[in-house]
Amino acid sequence: MSQSSGKVKAGQLWSKNKDELTKQLGELKTELGQLRIQKIVSSGTKLTKIHDIRKSIARVLTVINAKQRAQLRLFYKDKKYLPLDLRAKQTRAIRRRLSAEDASRVLEKTKKRQTHFPQRKFAVKNQQIALSHCVTAMVDWKPLTSNLEREGQHHEPLQHRAIMSADPLQALADAGQGKSTRSVLRVLILTLIAGAAISSRLFSVIRFESIIHEFDPWFNFRATKYLVANGFYNFWDWFDDRTWHPLGRVTGGTLYPGLMVTSGAIYHALRALTIPVDIRNICVLLAPAFSGLTAIAAYLLTNEMTPSSSAGLLAALFMGITPGYISRSVAGSYDNEAIAIFLLVFTFYLWIKALKQGSMLWGALCALFYGYMVASWGGYAFITCLLPLHSFVLICMGRYSTRLYVAYTTWYALGTLASMQIPFVGFLPVKTSEHMPALGIFGFLQLLAFLDYVRSTIPSRQFQTFLWLFAGGTFGIGLLGLVIATSAGFIAPWSGRFYSLWDTGYAKIHIPIIASVSEHQPTAWPAFFFDLNMLIWLFPVGVYLCFQHLADEHVFIVVYALFGSYFAGVMVRLMLTLTPVVCVAAAIAISTLLDTYLNAKTPKPEDHQAAKEGSDGKKGKAGLKSSDKPVVGVYAIWGKSLMVSALAVYLLLFVLHCTWVTSNAYSSPSVVLASRLPDGSQHIIDDYREAYQWLRQNTREDAKIMSWWDYGYQIGGMADRPTLVDNNTWNNTHIATVGKAMSSSEEVSYPIMRQHEVDYVLVVFGGLLGYSGDDINKFLWMVRIAEGIWPDEVSERAFFTPRGEYRVDGEATETMKNSLMYKMSYYNYNNLFPPGQAADRMRGARLPEVGPTLSTMEEAFTSENWIIRIYKVKDLDNLGRDHMAAAAFDRGQKKKKSASKKKVPRVLRVE
Amino acid sequence: MRWLSLFSLALSATGALAAKAPGKKTPEERFQLYHNKALSSSPVKLADASYRELTSTPRDYSVAVLLTAMDSRYGCQLCREFQPEWELLARSWTNGDRKGESRVVFGTLDFGDGRDVFMSLGLQTAPVLFFFPPSTGPHAAASSEPVRYDFSGGAQAADVVHNWLSKQLPDRPHPPIKRPINWMRWISTFVVLSGTLTACSVAWPYVLPVIQSRTVWAAITLISILLFTSGHMFNHIRNVPYVAGDGKGGISYFASGFQNQYGLETQIVAAMYGVLALSSISLAIKVPRMTDPRNQGIAFAAWFGVLFVVYSLLLSIFRGKNPGYTLSLPPFM
Repeated sequence: MSQSSGKVKAGQLWSKNKDELTKQLGELKTELGQLRIQKIVSSGTKLTKIHDIRKSIARVLTVINAKQRAQLRLFYKDKKYLPLDLRAKQTRAIRRRLSAEDASRVLEKTKKRQTHFPQRKFAVKNQQIALSHCVTAMVDWKPLTSNLEREGQHHEPLQHRAIMSADPLQALADAGQGKSTRSVLRVLILTLIAGAAISSRLFSVIRFESIIHEFDPWFNFRATKYLVANGFYNFWDWFDDRTWHPLGRVTGGTLYPGLMVTSGAIYHALRALTIPVDIRNICVLLAPAFSGLTAIAAYLLTNEMTPSSSAGLLAALFMGITPGYISRSVAGSYDNEAIAIFLLVFTFYLWIKALKQGSMLWGALCALFYGYMVASWGGYAFITCLLPLHSFVLICMGRYSTRLYVAYTTWYALGTLASMQIPFVGFLPVKTSEHMPALGIFGFLQLLAFLDYVRSTIPSRQFQTFLWLFAGGTFGIGLLGLVIATSAGFIAPWSGRFYSLWDTGYAKIHIPIIASVSEHQPTAWPAFFFDLNMLIWLFPVGVYLCFQHLADEHVFIVVYALFGSYFAGVMVRLMLTLTPVVCVAAAIAISTLLDTYLNAKTPKPEDHQAAKEGSDGKKGKAGLKSSDKPVVGVYAIWGKSLMVSALAVYLLLFVLHCTWVTSNAYSSPSVVLASRLPDGSQHIIDDYREAYQWLRQNTREDAKIMSWWDYGYQIGGMADRPTLVDNNTWNNTHIATVGKAMSSSEEVSYPIMRQHEVDYVLVVFGGLLGYSGDDINKFLWMVRIAEGIWPDEVSERAFFTPRGEYRVDGEATETMKNSLMYKMSYYNYNNLFPPGQAADRMRGARLPEVGPTLSTMEEAFTSENWIIRIYKVKDLDNLGRDHMAAAAFDRGQKKKKSASKKKVPRVLRVE
Repeated sequence: MRWLSLFSLALSATGALAAKAPGKKTPEERFQLYHNKALSSSPVKLADASYRELTSTPRDYSVAVLLTAMDSRYGCQLCREFQPEWELLARSWTNGDRKGESRVVFGTLDFGDGRDVFMSLGLQTAPVLFFFPPSTGPHAAASSEPVRYDFSGGAQAADVVHNWLSKQLPDRPHPPIKRPINWMRWISTFVVLSGTLTACSVAWPYVLPVIQSRTVWAAITLISILLFTSGHMFNHIRNVPYVAGDGKGGISYFASGFQNQYGLETQIVAAMYGVLALSSISLAIKVPRMTDPRNQGIAFAAWFGVLFVVYSLLLSIFRGKNPGYTLSLPPFM
């Protein structure tokens, strides 16, 4: 207390720490208190000291406070927020000013006014100066829209933009002229491409004849004939009692009528123009004609993707001659895919158009063609899933816009209504799972549109966050509700064919009928290369280029590419849906290469050094890393010429490949087989038609033919006889019945055949000729399908030897040897060969010395090369014996009654 | 007299016992015996003697016996895979039918305990599942011979065997299979899920730029396209071998035939597609953006050469797969 006489110096205080300061503060305060007491008790002594001490206390407090603040500043140095009293104070006006973001806010109305009526910019006409900043309105000045300006900044600097600013009118005139010649050229090229597409599909007509191919086309052909003969309404109500005997088929309600109606319309249109064309020729040539249209649709779709006009033409060319598409559209391949691929590509084009413009008209057109697609092909589900997926990806990328809303809702509402007009589809769009994504996205978009409206009216950040969370939550709840509804059975689960795309093992276990079809097998890599050649490696390049700008339409290509390639990998036949996107992407790639290397102008290095420094760090964030830098161009002439000639060689190779593949692999009608004789000349094997003609001429009109389902359509189309099962595999049990009859012994098969009133049985046998597509090779599938329904009576295991081999020679299992299929295939086959020499050339097996015997049926017809064998099912025995006994009696083997009885119990009616 | 009567009673009782003991127990007794055993632990573990006793005729009950070889010495993978399913089936059946209304006894005979039975049946393989239908009583089958279950499809789930058994036992109760709740799995799922959620929320600021990066998405897209178009799904569905020998001690990288492929083969093809695509991308995007003429020339020549050679190689590989194919490019003619 005594030492505290002098004044405190602030300078000395700084070196002290907090505790010392507090201590000193305490001391000073007590001293002050004592002085105050002294002041009252005894007046007069050193009262001025009170003043000094008060100042000292103030100094100490100041230092303490300053130190504290310094510590706090240190503490809050890296924190996001600073306490209010540590912030810069500035002036009250500055503190209360609007933030930059708020200041730049504009009313929705203002925003619209600015976009629709932007400030006009003018340039002087004859002074050759672009006065783009000049805003005064004068007579004779040419308006330039600010839109153009904006676009120019987004895209890469194109040369003609520079020309335009130099002399707008002249440049416009030049471009206009060039444009018209260009469009003439373009139309010419497109016509040529369509011509090439059509003519490359005519191999089969030239090599063979104008004939309907394969299996399904025969049914389509038959249906078309019915449509043309009986009119549309009869066709709609057509009940076909000549298939699926004895069930019949409501054909009008179980097919996709688009194909038949299209060719019927063409037929009637041509007749109205007094051009009588046989309906068969229309059917044969429909697929090539539509492939020409597909090429044009591909051109349109690609033009939406890139400003380069060469890309569209290349895409049209690729689409026209790619084997991946030709495989299903050669002349004579009169199948749903013939028109469906055109509709697929064109619907996608209309979708992109609708999305880009946000136009209801284009959306409605898209829905119209979608409806046509639904009427034509079951593969419409691909569109039904791809468009919602595209929209969903766009939403996830934060690209929701009113354009998307308009395009999607128009398409969905109209398209769904259109698709429900098809009897076969009916209420599926609201009931089955594969249509649910479309419905879900439709609802989600409504929600988003509502939220978007709310957001534009209530400007609050927290509220918006809350709303987005709300949207996500609703989406999740919707998904959950869908799952629950599916598991509770309100919505049918994924249908088999569709489901087998996701769970690839599913079909093999649960639906052998789907797994048995060769076009449902997975795709090996040679098939990809075979069908697409060099496009297969240009495809990723094109997709990568799409990532450069990544506008809405490029997102579509990316999504399509991903899912298309997945599906094509799982099922061979879905190569067809992949092909369009491959063509588009590859065309983008090739045209980018060509545009880069066909540019005659050689850049000067000095220009770009400067340009490089100027533009560094300006772009960068949005695009791909590789396209950050500006395009310079190619310097070396030799490089350009090398690249261009190499591309020409590749393209030429591609054309050769396509021609080779088309001519060798895809032009066989498979009704007529071609083979080469030793001297190289072509030999036509026409067993199928020979046999069907025999049926047509030698059997009763209503004789029922039993065969494996592959041949049902052909028998219906060519022989015009009722069949038990055909390629429309809607009734698995009925097919399994046929499978059971084929794979069981005669005693079991005969009652089955009697019950189904079978008169003739047709089998395909390739043993003599080495023809691989015969029934013995398909036999295991018959067994499997039958086993699926009657696991107790048919067992796949019993057809394999104990060592697990599938054999037809002497080592074959008893079940195999006794099966009806085996017997019918090899009956009397031994007689063709010297004793002991009988051999199956297909399976390379030597057959047992004694051939099988048949007692319940007799051979009726065998075609020239033994490919088709037809057996007549015997009627009941006149004497009431069973057929085994009768046959044995005929052979002169009189057996003991008891023995025969024991061996063959009377089993006429077992099921 | 009383003594005598007592004695005679005892005598007759022992006589009755004696008369039974060297012969057999009645089917009813046997069933009760084994059913009680089963109630404590099903399936009943059998040995030679008990197996013979249980399956002896006449019987008015059914027996399902699994003949297995669990000892690791025999290396029976199938036995070990099927055992838990079998025990589950037996346990849930017996527990669902405690009164024995379905009259089935489940038993297991291990090779170690019942060597003689295996020998006498001439069994070479394990596991074998026999079903002995009753030979007397209301459900008596025509033949008392056992029915053998076909294991050719590999180890089956309990449900499949349950179906098979139910088919053998018409109009009798079929207690359903009750799988115990797998607590471990639920807990581990929960832990993993919450862990993932935590990791996500922590790493979100770092993950977000990756998710929004266009380059990352481009890479993902291209890689999956390359996978799918090089036949990866075929490998996945068909379970093709990775590589195969060529019969001369070497490795053949490429399967013969158009419809075949090996795992390694598809990887090679995918890599070639990748190289081709990469060189095209470089030619289209990278090269025209290079400012130095000399560097650009070198880069162009390199990528161009790679493209040309790899494409030629691809064509030659394809010719190997498809012998009729004629097109080719210079280096690999």
